[in-house]
Amino acid sequence: MGERIMRLEHVGVRYRIRRSMFRSSYYEALRDVSFDLYAGETLGVIGRNGAGKSTLLRVINDIIKPDTGRVERRPGLSVSLLSLSLGFDPNLNGIDNTVLSALLLGHSKEQALANMEQIAEFSELGDFLYDPVLTYSSGMKARLGFAIAVTLRPDVLLIDEVLGVGDAHFRKKSSAALNAKMASEQTVVLVSHSAAQIKTLCDRVVWIEDGVSFKQGQAKPLVDEYEAYIEAHQSPTGTKHDRLAA
Amino acid sequence: MQSLIQFFHLLTFKVRCRLKSEAASNYLGFFWWVLEPIFYLLTFYFVFEVMLNRGGEGFVAFLLCGLIPWLWFNKTVSNAAGTIFNAKGLLTQTKIPVALLPSEVVLQDFVKQGVVFLLLLTFLLVYGVGLSWSWLALIPLMAVQLTLNAAAGFLVAAVVPLFPDLRFLIQTGLMLMMFGSGIFYSYELIRPEHQGLFFLNPMATLIKNYRAVLVEHQAPDWVALGAVFLGSALVLGGLIWFFLNRADFYPRVVSET
Repeated sequence: MGERIMRLEHVGVRYRIRRSMFRSSYYEALRDVSFDLYAGETLGVIGRNGAGKSTLLRVINDIIKPDTGRVERRPGLSVSLLSLSLGFDPNLNGIDNTVLSALLLGHSKEQALANMEQIAEFSELGDFLYDPVLTYSSGMKARLGFAIAVTLRPDVLLIDEVLGVGDAHFRKKSSAALNAKMASEQTVVLVSHSAAQIKTLCDRVVWIEDGVSFKQGQAKPLVDEYEAYIEAHQSPTGTKHDRLAA
Repeated sequence: MQSLIQFFHLLTFKVRCRLKSEAASNYLGFFWWVLEPIFYLLTFYFVFEVMLNRGGEGFVAFLLCGLIPWLWFNKTVSNAAGTIFNAKGLLTQTKIPVALLPSEVVLQDFVKQGVVFLLLLTFLLVYGVGLSWSWLALIPLMAVQLTLNAAAGFLVAAVVPLFPDLRFLIQTGLMLMMFGSGIFYSYELIRPEHQGLFFLNPMATLIKNYRAVLVEHQAPDWVALGAVFLGSALVLGGLIWFFLNRADFYPRVVSET
């Protein structure tokens, strides 16, 4: 295992829910989450809908500071979320949108331009890159977004559910690219409620239950335990947190 | 320092993109920047000069010197209002400085209105208002207005996510302010005892000085401009401080709604 690049200690996040103009109540999205993240590993985060996974990603991404507990990170650590078509402007062409997306993800314009050929190749968009994005199909848009995310390498890549992108051919290619990323020295935090995916892709797993890092350990045994637990505690509607997580 | 440089790269690139995108999304593209003030002008001209017969000599120049700065302010404030409120996707998915969102609008409208100001100067020359050294004061005047626009734009952008209903009041507030800025009348028509109140509106002060500089060829009222600048800079500085020190305030607010 590589060096430790991030440590979460008893992290808690609570949101304020505005009931009316002057009344509000609090809702604890995370209550007590602790784990370490090591360079080069693929860490899986499992938990039911509304367990606090999305909020956890925002804390790791440094978008939200925890209300309780603390987060320690290696200085200069770059983290970004694999999000398809972040900040895309439909009136602009693929190249401008690539640079825009890269800048928003904290990369430089030069980095984006230097990787343009690779992005063009991976997305299989070719000359379409010179056309406005509004002429793209949703599959093409997703391909471009995906290509940007996998080509520019942040220190930590966050993935919120592996998405099926584009047609069958590209889906195969994108999951192959993701698998290669995860097998390489790229550090990945993968959030999913698909147990099968986590089992095949991750080294280590943190299980979040109702805002608490309930258990953590080797992927395979823990996911099996999680599946058995879910089976036993099946709730058709998920937890009360679902509404907010959406 | 590093992040400041990244901020300006991002800001300038985004503004370039927005301008490009805006021009591409309408058939007449850039022409709308110019056509819009012309339509406003024609409306006011028709009402005051033709219908009410109130204009008098040099009315068009007088009107334009009020109208164009007003439209600049009006656009910045209306466009900035929803910038943070509507940016849930960005704010929850990536770490960007919140100040970027209203800054884009402030800069974009500045560039567009810069073009319109150039046309205004050309028009004034053609119209027979002579060239004068006093026109140089247009640079500090526009700098003061840019600061005022930024302060007002940042303020509405910051408040709307907390009280979304305010969006409906902003247009009304702007309308009220327009009538109180002396665009189609001169401040001299106001009773002396009410002029103090009138000039509490910073746009009234600015418009009076635009006219002094451009049409009357006089020096601007530096003290009044200094006051507008100072007040705006304080509000703007306070908001920037807040955005920097409470970086996760707005990502939380938009996650909560």
